[in-house]
Formats: sequence, C-alpha cells, structure tokens
Amino acid sequence: MLSITSHQCITRWAVKTKSILLITTLLDLFSASQVAFSGVYANMRMVHILTSVVGTKCELNVKNGVIYEGVFKTYGPECDLVLDAAHRKSPEPSMGPRREDIVESIIFKSSDVVVVHFKDVDLNYAKKDNFTDSAVSARLNGEHKEKDLEPWDGGDQHASGSLESLDTDLSNGWDPDDMFKYNEETYGVKSTYDSSLSSYTVPLERDNSEEFLKREARAAQLAEEIEASAAYKARVALENDERSEEEKYTAVVRETHTLSREHKYIPPSQRNREPGLSWGTGRQNSPRLVQCNPGPPAPRAGPHDYNIPGVDQRIVNGGPPRMSPKSQRTPRTHRVASCRGGGASGADFMSQGASVEVSTPVPARSSPSGGTWSSVVSGGELSHRPRSPRQNSMGGTASGPSLSSPQAGSVTADSVNMSTTVTSPTTASPAPIVAAIPLVEAKESRIQETRQNSPSSNKENMKPMESSPSINRPVSKGVIAPDHRKQIDNLKKFSVDFRLQPSSNPDPVFETTVTKPPRDSGEKPKEQPKDKNTDLTGPKVCSESPSSDEPVTAVAAAPAGSKPNTPSPSPSASALSAQPEQKRGPDVTSQGVQTSLPAAKSDKDDKEEKKDPVPESIKKSTLNPNAKEFNPRAFCTPPKPATTPTLPRPQGQPSPSIVVQQPPAMYGQTMCFPQMYPLTPVSPGVQVIPHMTVSQSKPYRPVPNMPQQRPDQHHPPGTSTMMHPATAAGPPIVAPSPAYSTQYFTCSPQQFASQPLVQQMPHYQSQAQHVFSPVLQGSARMITPPTHGQPSLVSSSTTQYGEQTHTMYVSAPIPQQYPHPSATLHPHPQHPQPSATPTGQAQQGAQHGGSHAAPSPVQHPQHQVAAAAAAAAAQALHLGNPPQQQMYTALAPTPPSMTPGPNPQSPQASFPSAQQAVYIHAPQVQHGYNPNHMAHVQQAHMQSGMVPAHHGTPSHPPVMLMATQPTAGPQPPLPQGTLNPIPVSSTTHFSYMTHPQGKASMFSPDAVSCTELNTLKPYSRQTLFDNTITFTKNCSFALVLFVLFQYHLISSSCRGVLASYN
Amino acid sequence: MATPGPGEYFSIGSHVSCLTCLGQRLQGEVIAFDYQTKMLTLKCTPSSGKPNLSDVVLVNLAYVSDVDVITDCTGTPPPLASLNFNKLTNRARAEKEDKLSQAYAISAGVSPEGQQLFQTIHKTIKECKWQEKNIVVMDDVVITPPYRVDNCRGKEGSALGHVRKIVEKHLRDLESQKSVQRAQQTQKDSALSA
Repeated sequence: MLSITSHQCITRWAVKTKSILLITTLLDLFSASQVAFSGVYANMRMVHILTSVVGTKCELNVKNGVIYEGVFKTYGPECDLVLDAAHRKSPEPSMGPRREDIVESIIFKSSDVVVVHFKDVDLNYAKKDNFTDSAVSARLNGEHKEKDLEPWDGGDQHASGSLESLDTDLSNGWDPDDMFKYNEETYGVKSTYDSSLSSYTVPLERDNSEEFLKREARAAQLAEEIEASAAYKARVALENDERSEEEKYTAVVRETHTLSREHKYIPPSQRNREPGLSWGTGRQNSPRLVQCNPGPPAPRAGPHDYNIPGVDQRIVNGGPPRMSPKSQRTPRTHRVASCRGGGASGADFMSQGASVEVSTPVPARSSPSGGTWSSVVSGGELSHRPRSPRQNSMGGTASGPSLSSPQAGSVTADSVNMSTTVTSPTTASPAPIVAAIPLVEAKESRIQETRQNSPSSNKENMKPMESSPSINRPVSKGVIAPDHRKQIDNLKKFSVDFRLQPSSNPDPVFETTVTKPPRDSGEKPKEQPKDKNTDLTGPKVCSESPSSDEPVTAVAAAPAGSKPNTPSPSPSASALSAQPEQKRGPDVTSQGVQTSLPAAKSDKDDKEEKKDPVPESIKKSTLNPNAKEFNPRAFCTPPKPATTPTLPRPQGQPSPSIVVQQPPAMYGQTMCFPQMYPLTPVSPGVQVIPHMTVSQSKPYRPVPNMPQQRPDQHHPPGTSTMMHPATAAGPPIVAPSPAYSTQYFTCSPQQFASQPLVQQMPHYQSQAQHVFSPVLQGSARMITPPTHGQPSLVSSSTTQYGEQTHTMYVSAPIPQQYPHPSATLHPHPQHPQPSATPTGQAQQGAQHGGSHAAPSPVQHPQHQVAAAAAAAAAQALHLGNPPQQQMYTALAPTPPSMTPGPNPQSPQASFPSAQQAVYIHAPQVQHGYNPNHMAHVQQAHMQSGMVPAHHGTPSHPPVMLMATQPTAGPQPPLPQGTLNPIPVSSTTHFSYMTHPQGKASMFSPDAVSCTELNTLKPYSRQTLFDNTITFTKNCSFALVLFVLFQYHLISSSCRGVLASYN
Repeated sequence: MATPGPGEYFSIGSHVSCLTCLGQRLQGEVIAFDYQTKMLTLKCTPSSGKPNLSDVVLVNLAYVSDVDVITDCTGTPPPLASLNFNKLTNRARAEKEDKLSQAYAISAGVSPEGQQLFQTIHKTIKECKWQEKNIVVMDDVVITPPYRVDNCRGKEGSALGHVRKIVEKHLRDLESQKSVQRAQQTQKDSALSA
C-alpha cells in the first residue's frame, strides 16, 4: 500500500510536471526509501480512495458554480485534482461535449473545488486480490458446493491381492465374437465384419509357377532383411513391449517385489536377467544399460559377445545402406558399433573388442537407441545385425568400409542410394564384411576418430575401406566369414532386390558377393595382388577379352568369377562380376598396394602402416566426396581431397592412391578435355560428372562406386592388379555393371574402404563409362580403357599422375585427345604401366598429356558409364564435361602441380560444378561436340566405351557387342544427346543417356543390355544425386524435380526392360 | 495528521450530511478525510441504483455548511486493499478515448441516441467508427440515423444480423432505462418537493 501510494503520488506529481522521466526516477527513489509524504499523500485513506477512483468520470463543481466533467486522472499532494478530457458541462442536459469543448487535461486547485462527484464507481475495481479465496468465492456466479471427500470402501473383495488379480487378468476385454453376439441379441445389430477383410485386400493366390516362387523367395528374403533390421526390431519391440508406461519410465525398480509378483510383474532389473527380456531390459535400462544388456547377463561383456556375431552380421547386413543412414545420424555410435562389430569378428576382434568395449560405452551413450535396440531386440546375432546396420553406418562403414561409407554418404543423400547402398552392402558384404570387419575392428578406433574428426562419413568410410582391405582381409576373413556370409548373403539379396530389382542380376551378385566374401577374405590379399598383376599385365587384354565375357559371365559367372578372380586375376576378375569386383576393387586397391609393394603380405603390413596415412587421406577424400557431393566438393573439398588423397593414397595404400588417381585421372581428363578440346571437355565433363557423382555423391557413390570401384579397382589395381580388376571389373561393368556392378561396386566400395569407395567410385564411373564406351567403340578401345584402368591405378598409386595427366592435357590436350580415341587406348595401356610402375606416372602423365585418352578414358569411363547406359548419357556427360572441363581447366592448372589436391578437389568440386555446368551447357556442349567433334564425341564415347572395356575386360565382349550397336547408339546418342541435353539438361542427361544407351544396348545384347541398364540405373542415380545437388546449388529446383522425374521414368523403364529380360 | 478539533474530525465509517455552498445537499458515509486540505470523501448511494456500485463525493469542507454527523462510527476502519495501478491507468485512458470519440460524434451532429448506440455497439464490437452521422461497424454494416433496427444496412449475413440484434437490445434497454430514470426522477422530484 505504501509503495502504491508513493507511486501514485509520484505519478501525480510527475503528471503535473509532465515529466515521465521524473516519474520513473521518483518511483525508483520512493521504492528505494520511504519518503515522508506531504499533504494528502500522507493520508493513506484519502490516497487510497482517490486512487481507486482514478479513471472514472466525475463532475467537478467549482466555486463559481461551473461544473466540469472529465476523467479523473490524478491528484497532487495539496489535493489538486487533474481531469482528463474535461469539458465544461453545458446547462443543456442531453447534449454531450463537442470535440472542441474538450480540454486535454485540467488541473483544479483544491481551493477552487467545492464538490467532486464520482458517479457509479466500483470501489473494488482495482483491488488486486481478485484471486484470493475470498475474492473468488465472493464472485462465484452460482452455487458453490464444497466437495466432500468420501472414503472409498472397496469392501472385502478389494482386500489385499484384489488389485493384483486385476493385473493377472490376462483377458483383454470382450471377445469380438461375444461383442457381436451381445449386440445382435440385445440390439439386433448384425455385424458385417468379415475376418477375411475381403473389402480391403485380396487373398494371395498361390501357385507353383516359377515366377511366384521367385517372388515368394524374394519376399521372404526381403522380409528377413527387414525383420533383421535394427529399426524394425526396435519398432517391433516398442510395439510389443508389454511393459506399461509406468514400468518403462516412471516405475521404481523393485527388485524384491518380484518375489511375490514374479508371474505378474518383472522388474526391469530382473527382466534383464531373463533371456527373453533382453530387449525389454534394454529399454527399461538406460541406453547404456541397454547396450550392456545386449549381452544377456553381463551387460557390457554380453553386448560385446553379441556384438561379435552381430557385428559381423551387421557388417554383412550392413545393412551398409542402413548403416550409412544411421551412421550418418550418429557417427560416433556407428563407430562404436563398428568397433563392437570388429570385436565380434574374431581374434582381432578380441583385441578390437577391447577397444570396442571401451568405445562401446560411449557409443551406447551416444546412440543408445540404435545400438541398444538392435542388440537388445535381436538379443543375438540378429539383434546385432540390426545394430550392425546402424553401427555399421558408423562403424559399419568401417566394417564394410568402402561400401558402407559410400552408402552412408549416399544414403543420407538419397533413399535410392540407401537402397543401392543396401544392395552394395550385401554384395560388398562378403568381401567387405570380412575385410571390413577386421578393418573395422582395427580401424574402428581410427575410424571413430576419423569419423569424429572428419565431418563426412565418407572419409571415414574411405579410411575403413582402405584400411579394411589390408587389415580386414587378413584378420577377419577367417573368423567372421560364416556369419558374415550369411548376413552378407541376406544383405546382398536385399541389396540386389532393392537395387537391382531385376532378379537375375541381383542373384548373381549375391552369389558372387557371397562367394567372394569368403574368398576375398582369405584370398583377398593374394587375389588382389594377382588381380592387380593380371590387370597390370593384361589390362588391354583383359579389357578386350573381358569385354566379351563380362556381360554374360559377369552376371551369371559373377559368383564363380569372384572366386576365380582371386585365382586367375584377369578372367576370374571379370567373372567376379560387380560384387566380386567390388570386393576385389578393395582387394584390388589393396592388391594394387601390394603390387606396388613387392609382397602382398608386406603390402598388407605396408598397408596397415600406410593405412593411417591412407585412412586420413581417405577420410579426407571421403569427406571431400561427401562434402563435395553437394556443393562444397566442387569448391572447397576438391582441392583438399585431391591433395590429401593423392599423397596419402600413394603413401598409404595403393588402392586409395589408385582411387585417388582415378579422380585425378578424371580431373586430368576433364582438365585435358577442357583444355584440349571443347568437345573432349564435354566428354571429360561427363566423365567428371560420373566421378563427381562417385566422389561427390556419396549416396550415389555407393552405387556408382560399386561399379566404378570395380573398374576403378581394376584400373587402380589395374596397374598392379590391372588384369584382375580390368577383367573382373570389365565383366561386371559390362554385364552387371549397370545396375549390379554399380550396386556391387557400391557395396564393395563401402565394404572395402571409404577411400576405395570414393576413389573407386570414380573409377567405377569412369570404368563404367569406359565399358560403355568400349562397347561402342570396340575392342581396341576396350584395350585402351583397360590401360586407362591401369592409368587410373597408376594414378591411384600416385595421384600426381592424375595431376600430371591434367597438366599434360593442358599442355597437349587437344591433339592428344583426338588421338585419344585411338590414343586413349595407348594411353590407357601406358597408364597401366605407370600404375604398375611409379615411373609409369611420368609416362602416364605423358600419356595423359599426350593423349587425353588416358584422362579421357577415365572421364570417358565415367561419361561412358552414363553413356554406357545410354549414348545420350555419354553425350550428356560430354555436355557435362565441357563445364566440368572448364572447372577442371580452372583447377587443372593447380592439378598439374597440385595434382593430388586438384584432382580430388577438382573431381569433387569440379564435378559438382562441372555437373552444373554440364547441365547448363550440356545441350550446347553436346551440340558442339556433335557438330565439331562428332567423331571426337563418338571417339570419346568410344573411348569411354573402351575404358569400360578396360575396366571390365571380361564384360567387354558383350560390351563390345553392345559397343558395336552402341557405337551406333553413341552416335545416335550424340544426336540424342544434343536433343536430350536440352530437355534433360544436366543430371537427367545421365539418366536419359544411360537409359537410352542401356535400352539400345539392351536391344543388342541381352546381358549387356541388362548390365548396362543396371549400371545405368546406378549411374543415373549417382548422376541424379549429383545433378540434384548441383542443381540445388544452382537453385534450379525445377530442374532437379525434372531430373528426378526423368530418373524415375528411366528407372522404371530400365526396370521394365530388366523385367522383360528376366 | 494534526488532531482535529471538535466537529472538525470525521471518523471513517461515519455517516455525514452537509450542504454545499452551491445549495447541494450531500449525505454519505465517510471513507476518507484529510484535515489539512479539508477534503472529505463520502460514499453515497449510487445514482444508477446498482448495488455493487456507489457514488463517491469529494467535498471541500471549506465550502460546506450544515455538517451533520448522522451516525458516528467508533470502530476501526477496514484495512485498505492494495490497488492495481495499471488497471486504473488503463481505465483512465480508455475513458478518455471514449469521451473523445463521443465528442467527435457529437461535434459531427450525431444525435444522443446515435451516440448512445455507438457506445453500446462499441462495447461489443471494437471495430466501429463514425462516418459522418453513420455508424460503420466492421466496415460492413452501416447504421444511419435515426439508428433504428431498420436503419442497419449492409451485406446480408451474420454481421448484419448481429448488429441488428445489438441495436434491438440497445433500444430495448434504453426504453427500460428511461422508465427507471423517470421513476427515479419522479421520486426525487417528489422527495425534493417534499
């Protein structure tokens, strides 16, 4: 009250002085210290009354009899009164004041005031205690009855135990039939309920037709995959969790309670002990507990145990795609998971497991839900599998490093990629799993660190990949193989189904992947070296021979091929098909490393040693790829990656280097093309795009990577394992290459290592392109592609090479490029040599410089990949190339000196930009190419085709066949490209291109067509992603949508074609 | 507070009657008195007759005669409740605005009936304004003099119907008020005359 009065007084005074500032100031003063009030202000009661009538109308009679009417505003200490909006009341009763009669405010001295009449005032208006009990009760509008609390008498029935009886009553209300019956009897309501739900669904008609069985098997497989997924288990666990909300979240754990209520209620703590309640316990328990819980009794130890099997499976299930998504979400968790997985895998696991365990706690915390769920739900391997996917995504990337990582990146980017990644994981799972697991284990720590360090999962993945190949293969292969294989098989099937919807391709892939993994695990080291050697030795040969074999063999023989690959590098490699290749791809990378290194084992050691550098580089590269995928790559990431990749890869693992090389090669090619020829630039650009897609589009990368990886692997390893990669890659590329290869590749990349993935991805792309181009061009070119593969390998060995190539291109791009078609062949061979031997780099550089062929091959490969899918795609690529080339050109200068950096950067960065540019320029470029360099374009395509051939020598034959037709197709595509470019513009180009080509190829050779289609799909996906990314960057959402739409159309068409083939 | 002399002090709660120099007879309960300023505050019966309201009269005893203490209250005055000053301030502002708005209408030559109607509508619908002599409600309904229900025009709809209801009720209330006032006036007149 006092304060109020003082405030009012101050306010009044201030009003008089018209000083707001004074009011606040005085209020502060008064509030701070009680001031002796003077006059009326000292009369609390008067102040209260006058204050409570503030804001009311009043009539004020002055001494002379005049009456003023106004709103009482305030008063002063001498009881001076202030009226607002006051006017002199006129004698006429009914008339109100006019506007001009009203005075803003009038101050009346108390000595002049006779009477102030406030009419109809609510003295309680301003009372603050509106919400006191008395105030509220006083205002109650109606009757207010006190609620009398009545004691509850449950009667004797509710004595102790009655409530429990309710708990134990398991009956869940009325039986539906009872309800129907009751309603019918009581109310005459007859239910129309039909248990068959015929109104909502149609019963499944079973028959023994092959088609039905096929579908059924696939459905079962899918169901298995789905049910094995951690997400599924987690959700099911949620849905089927019988624990009440209270139990789950609020109940106090009663350990002793159970004694009496064992049957009715199981406290969380006890549940944990019970085997079947593992997941429940997990839920009940905090994330950490859950993680621990996975292992039934021993929470932490148990989890590890579970993890071991689960980890492997996880890796295998890898749900690489799944992994990737999850991993992306929670890198650390994934890492942890991976660590766990690694621990599970084997002896190595043990050691790793220790580390894993250490890490696990963190993971659990970080990703309690994911990890816990999977582990808890599955309780066993299954649970682990679910986890594995998630974990894999994180650590899984490491496990299925190349594949998972790429996938992860891709997955995040696109759902499609996810699917692809999934397939890739499955495919990759065999080798990747084995290798990946060990790698993961060993590298888990690294990976985790790297992951943590590296923003993009890709980098991490890359590292795992690289490391995994060397480490994983040796260590994990033996132990993990069985479980992993199963899981892998499942995963593969999934991946195949998802990605390859085409039944035939997926199956082969699965088989291959399955078979390969074990082999790879055991054989990987050896095989890789062999493959590399073979590749190196017979890159050209492989490319040629493989080309024919690849298409058919790749698909059908893929499994055998995968194994064979190990034994017989080139042939088997080709046979390996996409998956094998993928695996091999990593292997190849490793092999390539090995090859680079005298002994495979020594290589492994070296690899391990190098792994660190490589992983870093890989990480970087991966990071770059990831980042680049979107916009960053083109701009920032490319340079860094390039530098890092090139350097690290060479130093670290051959494969990484190889991978890097490919990108560089790409760059170089792109670079060269831009510089060399406008047209060539286009093709390079296209190639670049593929690379970009690979490296940049993480999501795509997985898929693209898979194919590319193989090619890449072949190429990279090509130098060392050129033969194998080329052969293997060739076939896969050719036959399965499209979808399968891509899938496989994606898988393999993931599995292998992030590095391989990235690099491989490009390679694959390039390879795929090459393959396609080879198909178009012919065997000779095919040969060149292999060389390219080798070059890529070489380049991989030394990123510099790519740079060199770039520089070279810059120097003598144009002339050489043209020659490239023919020269490309030569360059490619040369490249292989370089790859084989470091010196080769110089040669390669020379080659590259001399003939864009080398670069162009790479680029072409990519382009071709797209192109392979469709000549139009190639054209689109070419179109894209020009922009890319521009990009590259810009980058190119740096690449020469900076080669590694530039290459990676350029690929990634340039790719995005290139893609964008490509899209933008695609029409123009194509046109330009067509008119000016029609021959060149064709050549480029041919080269690309050649490149593919190189990559997939085995497949080449079919490819070649295709090529022959494709050649026609390519040319047509060129025209088409010209046409397509405009509509499709950038991204779509690939899809269109691929599709057109794929279709064309399809027409000619079934296998090839299928493979192409498949490859095309992946590529198209990649391209789409890349495109989408670039487009988004360009703010051409409409284009993106358009591209996506086209992609859908293409994919659908491809599927249809595949289906028809199937 | 200086101690008041005999006849100069009014205890809170006492009932007092006095005659102003202007010949106005006042009677009410003392709710506040300031000796120094000779200001006396009385709570009188409400002029509107509403039970929860009351008239407050501030009288300067310097201009008053015939002060009679009808009933003296020796009890302790009731405690003073704290006041929500913001509420009072807002009321003052609103009253001022209303008066100014009303004055605008009057200056525009609007009849008292129209002004009253405007005030009534304004209580329900804030979105109303004067347009010359017409009351525009929600930019939709226009009420023209003499402000009868039939004078409400606008798009047929809920708004028009709603405004018509308000006008209808206002007129009804006006009639009843007038009757009450008449009765009171007659009573007062009779009382005065008596």
